[in-house]
Formats: sequence, structure tokens, C-alpha cells
Amino acid sequence: MATAERPPARGFNEQLYDLFFNNYIWKSIFRSGYPNTPRNQMLVVATNVFLHLHPTRIHRTHVKITHTYCLGGLTFFMFLGLTVTGVLLMFYYVPSVERAYADIQALETNVRFGSLMRNLHRWMAHAMIITVLLHMMRVFYTGAYKPPREFNWVVGVILFILTLLLSFTGYLLPWDQLAFWAITVGTTMVGSAPILGDESKFLLLGGFSVGPNALIRFYTLHVIALPLLAAIFMAVHFWRVRRDGGLARPL
Amino acid sequence: MAERVVAALQRRPRREREEEVLVWPDLVFVEFISAVLFTVSLVVLSVFINAPLLNRADPDTTPNPSKAPWYFLNLQELLLHMEPAWAGVIVPTILLIVLAAVPYWDRSNEQQGVWFGTANSVRLTIWGMGVGLFGTIWLIIYDGQKHVEWTENIIRGLGLNRDFTWPGGLDWARDLRSLDTRINWDDLSFTIGDFKMFQDWRAIPLGIPGTTEDPWLLNLNFPSFLSQQLIPVATMIGLPVLLYLFTRHKLGWIYSRRDTAILIFSGFIATYIVLTAVGQFFRGEAQELRAPWDIVVVEE
Ligand code: HEM
Repeated sequence: MATAERPPARGFNEQLYDLFFNNYIWKSIFRSGYPNTPRNQMLVVATNVFLHLHPTRIHRTHVKITHTYCLGGLTFFMFLGLTVTGVLLMFYYVPSVERAYADIQALETNVRFGSLMRNLHRWMAHAMIITVLLHMMRVFYTGAYKPPREFNWVVGVILFILTLLLSFTGYLLPWDQLAFWAITVGTTMVGSAPILGDESKFLLLGGFSVGPNALIRFYTLHVIALPLLAAIFMAVHFWRVRRDGGLARPL
Repeated sequence: MAERVVAALQRRPRREREEEVLVWPDLVFVEFISAVLFTVSLVVLSVFINAPLLNRADPDTTPNPSKAPWYFLNLQELLLHMEPAWAGVIVPTILLIVLAAVPYWDRSNEQQGVWFGTANSVRLTIWGMGVGLFGTIWLIIYDGQKHVEWTENIIRGLGLNRDFTWPGGLDWARDLRSLDTRINWDDLSFTIGDFKMFQDWRAIPLGIPGTTEDPWLLNLNFPSFLSQQLIPVATMIGLPVLLYLFTRHKLGWIYSRRDTAILIFSGFIATYIVLTAVGQFFRGEAQELRAPWDIVVVEE
């Protein structure tokens, strides 16, 4: 598709460049050459599925850090980091009342980098809640929810709820006193709803109190259902940011 | 599709084009640097600070205080001041709906995409946050009977009256629940004709006085309804409304819906933070107000 812009003089550097970026294999993976010319820089963004979340050019004011403080991006970064560390944790963790606590203990003591992975997962989860709240505040105070971005704000509110639920369902998994009682307090609040309170609590716990059924439900929600939903809504969110004409700016 | 995109790009005014920069390198660079920075600092944090792991879960030993995860402590804090259904479910549901509805209410598309777009937005933010901050703290102090304790200590401490105690006549003003528990509601009963009104405030008779012998009873405990539902809900709606009216008519800072939104959102954010922080740092055994260093968790 794209042809490389080959430098006219072929000194040593150019030959090296060709060797790395103009060979058959590189070109089969990345359609463009190395992004060192405006043309290739645009092509690399447009043809790479990950970079393609971005437009190829954006308004000058939006690359200023003080416009977004990278907060939406950081929230997404936390989500990705949580996915990676979460997958690693899943190798060692079995969501049964008999094993859960011992598995976490083993992770902390017997598994190489186990406690690092667990700590990272925990702190990133906290960080994500903080960044999502700050992101919401930055969107609010820059008036970026105004037309035509009304719906993306609503998608954002859904993402905020999903973030809280992801964190809440993960909280039970270590099956220690902190986890058990926090979820007991939390689900008791759900149970106090005037309509369908007891029913929703039962649905969430798979019983009347926190036990083996609750553990497996929270686990399933935490590792598959909610991340999937969050990923879907994030896809919509990012798509809409682009469809609504990039980030908001004065008319 | 592609043609349309290209056509749209070409239609864009030339000036605008010049205001644009390439995503690679300008944006990708910033993203890369912040990803590296955050990866490094999170790894360092995780090397030095371990995630908590207490004893294995034991349904028979309840830690006191038992707390929800920190991001739900705002709701758990509300729970101490009102009926659980309001605090745990109705209030958060309504808040999320209102939050999602903001753009459908504040529809003008002026002042978008710049920080603090309207003329008064900075002062509205500071003012809204200030009122939310101190207002919420004050309400929590009131409902924690701290004003009683402090008044007693100050009057005793100044030597005005060494045995001073909170006056019995003001018992109802100790905290919200005192309205229910410290007033003898039966004394407030009265009769209209031969119809005995409110002899028992725990069930409100409905029906026109004098028309029926045996009125239908509304099974509503009025004193508790007053202190746990009516007043808390009226406060949550009333105070923001008062704040709005005062800011609009007395201060004259509000010119648009955007201004109102900024004021109320700022107040909400401050309240949210105060409730979370109080729940996290200032609630000890039996959810009593405590200084952070006095909080111990006992298992019972
Ligand atoms: C998991 C949670 C979320 C992720 C990963 C996320 C991600 C992003 C990203 C990457 C952007 C691009 C600009 C930026 O970085 O600020 C963005 C923009 C936006 N976000 Fe979010 N977001 C999340 C939650 C929210 C929430 C809670 C809200 C509001 C309630 C929200 C509303 C918006 C809006 C309206 C825009 C467009 C802003 C503009 O045009 O300037 N998002 N989001």
C-alpha cells in the first residue's frame, strides 16, 4: 500500500535504515516505513489498530498536558495494567472458600513476583477509581459534556459505575476478614432497597449471606462479565470521542 | 466512506489545519512518557507497600468497625444519618441519574472545551466547594453530638459553670435522632372533637376527624420518619436549592444553566470527598466519630 520514501543518498545510515525498515518482513507487519516523515507519521497512526484509536492530527491545544492531564488515557492505562496483572493472578487463584485465602498467601510468599503482581493489581485498582473521578471532573470543568457530546458523558457515567463494580467484586476475592466484612456491609446496603432489595441481594450473593456462592459469583463478574462490559463501553466511549469531532473546543 | 472523509478534511478551513499537530509524535510521545512514569511509580509503590491481607474470613468474628471499601464509605457514612434505603440505594441512584442528565439540561454549547469557561466559574467552584465542605462537616458534627460535647467542654473549661451539662430543654437538638427519642411525643397528642389525634405517633390515623369511629391507620412511625427520612431528604434537596437561590439572587453570580451546574457539581464533589474521608479516617468503634489516630479495629 504505502511506498517508503527512500532517502536519495545512500550512506551507511541509509543502508542501516533500509535493512531495518525497508525489508520484506517489516513491511509485512507495518505497512508504513519508520515514522520519520509526516507522511509516515500519519500512516503509522492510521494503519495501526492500536494507534488508530487516535486521529492522525489533533488540535494544538489538546496536546497540552493541562487540557486533559491525560486523565482519560491514564484510566485506560490502569484498565490495561489491571488486565495484565489480573491474568497473572488468575494463574494462581482458585475461587473456592477452601482455597482462596491460602492461594493469596501462597502468592505472597511462594510465587516469584507474586506479591508484586498482587500489590500492583490492588494499587492500580485504587488508582483507577481516583483517575476516573478526576477525569470526570476535568470533563465537567472544561464543559466537554456539551452538545454533541451528551451521550458520551452518559457512557462515561456507565463506565464510572462499572469501575466501581469491578473494584467492589474484586475486593471479596482474597477471602480475608477485610474482604468478607466489607462485602457484607456493601451487600447489606443493597438489601435495604425499598423495592427488590432482598431479591437483588440474594441474586448477588447466591444466598442470604456471604459464602461460597457469593465468592464464585463475584469472581465470575470480576474476571469476565464486568471487564467485558467495561471494554465494550470503552470502545464506544473512544469511538464517540472521535465521531464527535475529537475533544471539545470552543466553537 | 474514504472519499467523504477526505472531502470533509478538504472542506475544513485552512487556518484550522495549521492549528493542528500530528498525533505521532506529539501526542504519542506524551502518552508514552506518562505510561512510563506511571508504570515506574506504581512498581515502586508496589515494592514498598503491600496490599493488606488480614486473617482468613470468619463469619463469627465481626470486626468493629466493619467498613465497606473506601469508595463506598460515602454511602456508609450517609447510612449513619438516615434510613438505609435512602442512603444505600435511593440517593446514589438518583444522583447517578442526575449526573448523567446534566448535558441534557445544560444544553448550550457555548464555553465548551476550555477550563472554567464562564466569567464567574472559578468563584462559583470555590464557593460551591467551600459550602459543600463546611456544610457537610457541620452536619456530621451535629449528628455526632460533637457540638454538645464541645459546648459543655468550653463552658466548663472557661470556668463559667463547672457542672454545666447540655440543657434539658435543648435535648431535641443533640442530634437528628433526638427528635425521635428525646421528645415525649405522647405529650403532643391532642383531640379534635371526639377524635383523638396522634395519641400514638407510631401510627397516623387517616380519615376526616369525627366522621369515622375507627380510622384507618397509616402505619408510619412519625417521629422516626421525621428524623430518619423527612429531615435528611429535605436537607439534601433544600440546602443545594438554598445555595443556588442565595448565589443567584444575593451574590448575583449565576447567569446560565452552566453556572448553576458548576455551583451544584462543585458542592457535590466537596460533599462526596468529605463523606468519604470522614468514613475512612474518622469513624471508629461502633461508627463513633474519632480522631484518625484513635481508631482501632476490635474483633468481637
Ligand atoms: C473507565 C473509565 C473511562 C475511560 C477509560 C475514559 C477514557 C477517556 C479518554 C481516553 C478520553 C479522551 C480525552 C481525555 O483523555 O480526557 C475521554 C474523553 C471523554 N470522557 Fe471519558 N473515560 C472514562 C470515564 C468517563 C466518565 C466517568 C465520564 C463522565 C461522566 C467521561 C466523559 C468523557 C467525555 C464527555 C469525553 C470527551 C471529552 C472532550 O471532548 O474533551 N468519561 N475519556
